[in-house]
Amino acid sequence: MDATGARAVSKPVTFPQYLLLNAKRFGGRPAMRFKDYGIWQTWTWSEQRDEIRDLALGLKAMGLTKGERVAIAGSNRPRLYWTFCAAQSLGAVPVPVYADAVADEMAYVLDNAGARFAVVQDQEQVDKIQAMAQTTPALTTIIYDEPRGLRDYDHRMLHEFGAVQQLGRSIAETDRDAVAAWEEAIMASDGSECSAILYTSGTTGRSKGVMLRASASVKAAEDTARFDHLDEHDEVLAYLPLAWVGDHYLNYAQGYVAGLCMSCPESPDTVSQNLREIGPTFYFAPPRVFEGLLTSVMIRMEDAGRIKKKLFHASLAVAKTYGEDILEGRPVSPSGRISYWICDKLVYGPLRNVLGFTRTRTAYTAGEAIGPDLFSFFRSLGINLKQLYGQTEAFLYVTCQKDGDVRPDTVGPAAPDVDIRIADSGEVQFRSPGMFMGYHDAPEKTKETLTPDGWVMTGDAGIFDTRGHLKIIDRAKDVGKLTTGALFAPKYIENKLKFFPNIKEVVAFGDGRDYSAVFLNIDLTAVGNWAERNNISYGSYQELASLPQVYEMMARHVEQVNRDLAAEPLMAGAQVSRFLVLHKELDADDGELTRTQKVRRSFVAERYQPLIDALYDGSTEKFIETEVTFEDGRKGIIRATVRIADAVTYPTATLHREAAE
Amino acid sequence: MDLLYLVFVDPFVQMADLPDFFLQVLWEGFVAGILYALIALGFVLIFKASGVFNFAQGIMVVFAGLTLVGLHEMGIPAYLALVLSIGVMGLLALGVERFVMRPLVNQPDIILLMATIGLTFFLVGFGEFVFGGEPKQMITEELGLPTGSTSIDIGENGLLILQHIDIAAAVIAIIMVASLGIFFNKTRIGRALRAVADDHQAALSVGISLNQIWVIVWFAAGIVALATGIMWGARSDVSFALEVIALKALPVLILGGFTSIPGAIVGGLIIGIGEKVGEIYWGPLVGGGIESWLAYMIALIFLLFRPQGLFGERIIERV
Amino acid sequence: MNARIQPVQLHAADDGLKPGETMLMVDKVSLSFGGVKAITNVSFDIRKGEIRAIIGPNGAGKTSMLNVINGFYHPQEGTITFRGKARSRMQPHEAAQSGIARTFQNVALFKGMSTLDNIMSGRTLKMHANFFWQMLHVGPARREEIEHRMKVEEIIDFLEIQHIRKTPVGKLPYGLQKRVELGRALAMEPDLLLLDEPMAGMNVEEKEDMSRFILDVNSQMGTTIALIEHDMGVVMDISDRVVVLDYGRKIGDGTPDEVKANQDVIDAYLGVSR
Repeated sequence: MDATGARAVSKPVTFPQYLLLNAKRFGGRPAMRFKDYGIWQTWTWSEQRDEIRDLALGLKAMGLTKGERVAIAGSNRPRLYWTFCAAQSLGAVPVPVYADAVADEMAYVLDNAGARFAVVQDQEQVDKIQAMAQTTPALTTIIYDEPRGLRDYDHRMLHEFGAVQQLGRSIAETDRDAVAAWEEAIMASDGSECSAILYTSGTTGRSKGVMLRASASVKAAEDTARFDHLDEHDEVLAYLPLAWVGDHYLNYAQGYVAGLCMSCPESPDTVSQNLREIGPTFYFAPPRVFEGLLTSVMIRMEDAGRIKKKLFHASLAVAKTYGEDILEGRPVSPSGRISYWICDKLVYGPLRNVLGFTRTRTAYTAGEAIGPDLFSFFRSLGINLKQLYGQTEAFLYVTCQKDGDVRPDTVGPAAPDVDIRIADSGEVQFRSPGMFMGYHDAPEKTKETLTPDGWVMTGDAGIFDTRGHLKIIDRAKDVGKLTTGALFAPKYIENKLKFFPNIKEVVAFGDGRDYSAVFLNIDLTAVGNWAERNNISYGSYQELASLPQVYEMMARHVEQVNRDLAAEPLMAGAQVSRFLVLHKELDADDGELTRTQKVRRSFVAERYQPLIDALYDGSTEKFIETEVTFEDGRKGIIRATVRIADAVTYPTATLHREAAE
Repeated sequence: MDLLYLVFVDPFVQMADLPDFFLQVLWEGFVAGILYALIALGFVLIFKASGVFNFAQGIMVVFAGLTLVGLHEMGIPAYLALVLSIGVMGLLALGVERFVMRPLVNQPDIILLMATIGLTFFLVGFGEFVFGGEPKQMITEELGLPTGSTSIDIGENGLLILQHIDIAAAVIAIIMVASLGIFFNKTRIGRALRAVADDHQAALSVGISLNQIWVIVWFAAGIVALATGIMWGARSDVSFALEVIALKALPVLILGGFTSIPGAIVGGLIIGIGEKVGEIYWGPLVGGGIESWLAYMIALIFLLFRPQGLFGERIIERV
Repeated sequence: MNARIQPVQLHAADDGLKPGETMLMVDKVSLSFGGVKAITNVSFDIRKGEIRAIIGPNGAGKTSMLNVINGFYHPQEGTITFRGKARSRMQPHEAAQSGIARTFQNVALFKGMSTLDNIMSGRTLKMHANFFWQMLHVGPARREEIEHRMKVEEIIDFLEIQHIRKTPVGKLPYGLQKRVELGRALAMEPDLLLLDEPMAGMNVEEKEDMSRFILDVNSQMGTTIALIEHDMGVVMDISDRVVVLDYGRKIGDGTPDEVKANQDVIDAYLGVSR
């Protein structure tokens, strides 16, 4: 059976080469898990190789050739991850598409990439692709994982995943040469080919296809896997969108390079349960997931008994005092260590278990700035949470924090083998091992992104602190000035506000204006819970958001932020003078957020222009009509009169005294 | 002042003065409580599965005990008599399902309650007719139940006396409750029983036969009644006078909730112990005899604060 | 070594009927409650493999009709013939045994039990292991339990309710409860599935999900479905044939298009014939 890896290699330069190597060195170790029908099923590396080989031979027989693009759409499933490797093994290029993309977005990617093959999860994806079939003329073949609901479809274009694998298996069984040829082709690669095209979500305009080179991707993944000591004993849960660079890098690329085991959740709704069952050793989540975790813990504690609540808050205080010092290995008094140890047994341990962090050795967050208190909260519980700063164009890592040298307000020093410089404009620029080959089919855009001497422009404004750690302030183009001349960094203000569990989303305005002002989105779960506990009734988000009590609560939060800002000389001038609570939640379906849930600032500004005007013309309320898109695609209008409130601001001088207290 | 002293201080001083006596009172209350709990358990089983308040549960205890003793008097060996008695309870369950439940299905609850009152009179009449009306001695020894007692020294000269039959009662009650628990949670029939208790219509729609379930619960209630009858009979006599004591199950049910097995047990123990302690320490204040009504007082006060009982499900009537 | 699970396929029992043959025949059925007529002389058939809708305004006698088929009510006149066997009085549990499953308008679930237990209860009729084995939870009972659990997991997967497997159904939102109830009915692997207003009280998205499930059940498991709705819209999209009742009488029967064109039906829905 083992004809694999007949030719010894010094060092793999592509992921399929790593597949063959892992099947040889870790053949009996788990490579993939997936919970199906309520039971975790496991594939070892050698089983995974066989699955991928069958698929690859099947695809080849169906006419997939070198250089062609294969679109992949669906949630995190073993079969879709196998498709990545199977395509790469034939020299074809996998192009993952966001599973929740609407038909139009999906068609754009399919067409732009010129994909001839698409491998998708289910009927939903098939429907989306076929709805826009006329705009994707290159597409000839759709392969689906779940047959459900597709029985009565026209099957000229459709093929079942299992059948493709079956085709490949019969070839492998009857024709030994085909298997040998497949492995030979894999080993023959020098890694110079494009190994994936990842489409960036793009805060502005259409998304761009970032082409990644195989050898560069492997090199980058090897660097960071070594940096975080990842090996075949590690486990990860692959739950992030598989079209996103983070998922592709952290789970697929690092997974192949380190030989670790990747687990796929049963369904997107069961992630938190599956997290607890798997107990990953390496974990990544964007800040908003950590925010959600904290909110859910706090809400559960609100409903707990008095004694439990007291115990919980007392141990949190202990964690706050000693937790981070212990994690960082700094000196801590024996009494501190003992009380932390007791609380760890009583509270932190069980809490980590509930959250699924029991075995987590390394956890990362990135994508947005994380609130310092939020960050410290998880670290103080003994979870080694770190920050990294990355870009699709870098194949993720630009900077990352070292174990034992972690600070909440920076994203750490340059990642291994990465060079960073700050341009005169304040923009961060880098060169890295995983650096992209260019944008697919858009050389002019590639040119715009690269400096003449070959550095990538990130579009982010940042500074280095004294220890050489990078601090990202905002998007370079978003940093502006008030008419008073004070610096206005909207993200900075927004992040401070968003740290409050009651606030879900913030959009700050102020560039070229007299003062800063913000739109707020309340967090429906947290505020709704608060309302219930206080016997305040409400029928909808809109009603809740407009309650006077909610405005009072928001006013207190804004005031707190202003007090913090006043303490920072550079930022004191940009305190928030006026605010309003939006009558609807910002929503990706309405184009207000990107698919990765970032605010589309310019779009929001345009859409709610009357409200912005009201923030600056002194009015106390404003009527607005907003068009919304429901999940089924229908459109509707919501109308509301939004109240605008003034906030307390602090003079810089008096505050120094207060802050010192 | 004096009254306050007598009510709030003196009883506790007495308890502390003679701790062995206090323990004895607690034990007596505990044993009585177990028997109340067993009777209540019979009620709960039937109420849960059919929503019927089985007024005849008390008389079933007497009837079961009477059958056992009566059969033995006819010259049947004790163990065979026990098996036959179980058989009689099975026949009773079948009869009740066929002639009471089935014809009256979907009738208002009050009709079914009246039917169980009718059943009470039938059982009294039938029992007297077959086995005679005079009190009988329970065949404790013949069944191999222990009869002696154990004394435990408490402190310097205190003494606690435990009747073996009481200990046996406690053990049998625990075994009974445990096996009912397994039965309810682990078996197909148990699952079906819970399903019926939860929603009749839905249970019918998945193919559960109500008639079969009724036979099973009435049979289970019959076996519980037989065990109760033996235990109770061993402490006094087997006679129709016991029926009155069965009414004590009512406050137990109010306390524990009509649908909860743990509730029946805890409720039984609270009533049993509360009654005995109240009688001994507070009884003399009002000239004694409070044992007969204290249970109802406790239940009444309880009703004010938690109408659904300790463990009962919240009462939500669908309109 | 390979521990992959082969999904158990759920199928309606093979009853010898070919698709399109008459499975259930309602013949001149009348039902009244103490003089109030609920159904008057209604006849129609349900064919193997189809989705058959019974529609009508509120109070048209739709649920009564379902209850007659299901054995909850016994008609004073007329007969019901199921798979060639005519019957006069049939108990609901006998209907269940002969392969008829149903859901209820107001969701009749076992609220205290988990989703899993609820769906498992649908397997009651298919379990045969000896009572004592079950008490001990070993031997044949254990094997049987695992076998049934597989089928139940298949249904959970099918209905996409993995995340609420262990949640007591009383705590679930209404839309999910309806889905669990459908799951319990499916667990019986019925030949004929009766759905009483499966989309009542749902929002647009939930309705679409439910329609998808109903269509999938029909096409994948081969289950014949009879469903009641008073909202015409969704029903017309998913059913093969439609019976229209009004004040207990049949006023229309045919394909959705035929029914839509039927003047009596239009009048009934617009309230003209009042």
